[in-house]
Amino acid sequence: MAVEITSVLTQKVADLACLELTEAEVRDFTAQLGEVLHYIDQLSEIDVKGVEPLTYPHEMDLVLRDDSICTPELDARGKPKILEHAPDVLSGGFKVPPIL
Amino acid sequence: MAPEFETVIGLEVHCQLATETKLFCGCRAKLPKGRTVADEEPNLNTCPVCTGHPGSLPVLNKKAVELAIRAGIATSCEIRRRSVFARKNYFYPDLPKGYQISQYDQPLCKNGFLEVALVGAGLKKIRIERIHLEEDAGKSIHMPGYSLVNLNRASVPLIEIVSAPDLSSPGEAGVYLRMLYAIVTALEICDGNLQEGNFRCDANVSVRPKGSDKLGTRVEIKNINSFRFVERAIEYEALRQVELLRSGGQVIQETRTFDSDKGVTLSMRAKEEAHDYRYFPDPDLVPLTFDDAWIERIQNDLPELPRKRQDRYIVDFGLSELDASALVNSRVLTKLFEGVISAFKSALKARALDQKNISKSVVNLIISEVPRLVNETGIEVDQSKLNSTHIVELVMLQSAGVISHSSARQVLATVWGSGDRIETIVKRLGLEQVSDLSALEPIIDDVIARNAQQVAELRSGKDKVMSFLVGQVMKASQGKANPTMLSGLIKKKIGI
Amino acid sequence: MKTVSEVHSAFDAHKTSPVELTSEFLVRARKSRLNAFITLCEDRALAQAKVCQEQFKSHGRVPREEFPLFGVPIGIKDVIVMDGVRTTCGSLMLENYIPPYTATAVERLERAGAIILGKLNCDEFAMGSSNENSAFGPVAHPTHPGYVSGGSSGGPAAAVAGGLCVASLGTDTGGSIRLPASFCGVVGFKPTYGRVSRSGLIAFASSLDQIGPFASTVEDCARMLDVMAGPDLRDSTSSQVPKGSWVNAISYTPEWNKIRVGIPKEYFIGGLAPAVQKAIEASLNWFRSKGAKLVELSLPHTQYSVATYYVVAVSEASSNLARFDGVRFGMRPREAADVKDLLSFYKKSRSRFGAEVKRRIILGTFALSSGYYDAFYRRACQVRRLIRDDFNRAFEKVDVIASPVSPTTAFKIGQKSKDPLEMYLNDVFTIPASLAGLPALSVPCGKDAEALPIGLHLIAPHFAEESLFSIARGFEKEFSNGS
Repeated sequence: MAVEITSVLTQKVADLACLELTEAEVRDFTAQLGEVLHYIDQLSEIDVKGVEPLTYPHEMDLVLRDDSICTPELDARGKPKILEHAPDVLSGGFKVPPIL
Repeated sequence: MAPEFETVIGLEVHCQLATETKLFCGCRAKLPKGRTVADEEPNLNTCPVCTGHPGSLPVLNKKAVELAIRAGIATSCEIRRRSVFARKNYFYPDLPKGYQISQYDQPLCKNGFLEVALVGAGLKKIRIERIHLEEDAGKSIHMPGYSLVNLNRASVPLIEIVSAPDLSSPGEAGVYLRMLYAIVTALEICDGNLQEGNFRCDANVSVRPKGSDKLGTRVEIKNINSFRFVERAIEYEALRQVELLRSGGQVIQETRTFDSDKGVTLSMRAKEEAHDYRYFPDPDLVPLTFDDAWIERIQNDLPELPRKRQDRYIVDFGLSELDASALVNSRVLTKLFEGVISAFKSALKARALDQKNISKSVVNLIISEVPRLVNETGIEVDQSKLNSTHIVELVMLQSAGVISHSSARQVLATVWGSGDRIETIVKRLGLEQVSDLSALEPIIDDVIARNAQQVAELRSGKDKVMSFLVGQVMKASQGKANPTMLSGLIKKKIGI
Repeated sequence: MKTVSEVHSAFDAHKTSPVELTSEFLVRARKSRLNAFITLCEDRALAQAKVCQEQFKSHGRVPREEFPLFGVPIGIKDVIVMDGVRTTCGSLMLENYIPPYTATAVERLERAGAIILGKLNCDEFAMGSSNENSAFGPVAHPTHPGYVSGGSSGGPAAAVAGGLCVASLGTDTGGSIRLPASFCGVVGFKPTYGRVSRSGLIAFASSLDQIGPFASTVEDCARMLDVMAGPDLRDSTSSQVPKGSWVNAISYTPEWNKIRVGIPKEYFIGGLAPAVQKAIEASLNWFRSKGAKLVELSLPHTQYSVATYYVVAVSEASSNLARFDGVRFGMRPREAADVKDLLSFYKKSRSRFGAEVKRRIILGTFALSSGYYDAFYRRACQVRRLIRDDFNRAFEKVDVIASPVSPTTAFKIGQKSKDPLEMYLNDVFTIPASLAGLPALSVPCGKDAEALPIGLHLIAPHFAEESLFSIARGFEKEFSNGS
């Protein structure tokens, strides 16, 4: 599938990935992605009709977990330890811009 | 609904599985009894896995799979021996990993159905397209200028039950939902706490000219968590669409939300703004596979289905269809009823009591009085002080003629909050019925004296007047007279 | 001191002690100019060394049966988490990230007595082949300043080669252990997919990533795998296949006349640097001279491997790296604190990814997006099956497949960094085994005219680590002596 990579497409995909690109990055990436996709396009030569996609390198059974509780880790003040890692915490919640 | 249009409805129900822990980690998923989401300390029930810390990996909860399979069996689905978890990618602060682990093109259960009983229209088969497992997102609290994310609910296990567009009225949707609810609660798949969003629904609604076999443009109404609201939302939405079409407009494919205060649906986003979720198989979880033996084991351990239980109640206890279905549609009431019945079993053997008559009294108390008390007091059955022994004692006293039906209601209301013994309450409130002739005689004499005309009518053979006179005596005795003896006494007094 | 047994002999002979040795290695690491370490965890290392010291006293000797890595100084690639120790992934995104738990592999090493010195430099989120993509600067080649160490596990390779630790942990997604091992002249081993738990390995591409060891000898790699392998309830893709005792397995010499070495013709179609070509031919001749049978075979889909790999790996990466949003951990740049809408918030808080990481996230997002999924992601997964099936067929005829690790020896810093595609092609020989989930290693097999090391690549069937180790060990013991 030959795809024409334009700066509009690069920008659109960057939005989907929540990445901010400078104008120079949009320009460079558009050119580089075009080249990489051109290279990847060789996959379209192969006849893959009826070939089941392979996601996992080899057959494995999914191992399941028993429904037993692990107690959460608390800090010295009895607050959830997981909050120590967050850049901005308020009233025990992770603070973010307003969600509407 | 306008006669020239018909409504087409499909429902997607999200149902929280009654596991102790989350879908992919050992954090607590179940709320402690009587606690709400709001009671919990934010982010207490979290770990590196459900907060999406780098390097952490999901490990699937076996119980959740069992419960999902139960739901599949109960809705006659094909249980697929190989299903695949997929990532649904989007950015949102309550979604810790930047993707939700769900199932996409290879769900656990497929192609089932439910037969719902419609008033006056018999049974209707509603197809269930799929049931799949997925994790819930967290919750956000919205403040002016910022939001706070709480991940206690993140990765709590859900099943999504997707019906075909086989429902054709808000009423049908309501019946289907209530039946589904009865099943998932009776089979202990879901705790069924509606306030906490254990069971919530998205409705896909479209309208089309009657007789057309082409589906109209559908609108999805998101996240409705009460049966009444579902019915109202669909009703409003169908009308809105019909009015649009009639006025020459077009329905646009979009996602809407239901404002229960105003009773209207509001646009959230149009299809063009639809997310590109970039689903792909989750490489951290190989396909879920299992053998027939496991399914058989789950099937054998399956609690009784509501429909089967309802039939049994009708046959064994002579309950009406309506009473039986009211019972089985509520897990707490069923539990109470089963408790009372088993307590009675021994008593019934000992004394030759009329089983069907007793069942009727028990059912009356349970399906009319108990829900009324829940409504009035705001206390749920399992948080009230009422237990099955109370009901056994109450019905015994009632059938022995010691207390009246109306007194029984009064006692029940008292037990609800106090949990005292029935006998104690009856004594304390002085509710024993008066069967003692000497105590009743003056009251009867008084009633006869004050109602000369009715007495004359009774004498002339108008039997209907009797109930009026009995009523007067009951009133004068403040309900304590035993009504079964009264008509005899009155007749004796006036000599007929 | 280059090997575990040398360390243990030195302890037994009272030439040094765990604390002394640890301190010595820490000093060396601090003084080193290789830029191999990003973070040293001196307190943790010394505390563990003291525990070893006590145990040594009470036993009077190294309790090697119970603690196979007793007192051995080890470094960990900085994409593997340790509770309380900064883990950066070579990225500014995680400049100050302190993980709340320890990776299973590291836990098992420490339980076996290993002393973790610190966290080793790598390409940002393990994306790269030269270690030039680290936010903490490139890792210098241990013997050739100005040359790259190879990537993405440049730190772990250079640290072992440069004597900054006895062994190290790297991760391999498309060759990230084998390539730097080859460039730096050490042994680097990628286990069968699922052999070692990925719990605590910060994912680049989950269906390809594996943790594996670097060491000076095949034996020490086997020793490390002995300790780390086995099922883990924190990783559903960790294999239930029983683990062997590989250290014991390699103590005997293979019966060479029963060994069949496969030579895939697609790996020898030109483009090899002459010195590499020569060293590999010499290696193959050595196998023949020992009586092994050389079997030419075909892996017909080899030429599509790099394209397949890039689609699969970047697709998974685009999703794996979505969690870096500055909400629950990591950094939140000041710009992100002030924005009022979500999209700008995400864009600002995700702005610290480097160029290569952004490039790959964008490519992966594209390959999974609506309208392109079938032509890119799905098709790549289909070709991935064809590539794996090629190997399955090949391993009906041979016990091990031999090839170069890389078409060239280490190149100069900056030489290839302008052209992403040219950089991707470094991995052409290592990628196929990654796609198929096979165990593979790089063992030194010579040097070029500038004395830059060359690695021989050996690939074995799934879970056939035992034969892979014993063949590699036999080669290492005798071929090295002869070269």
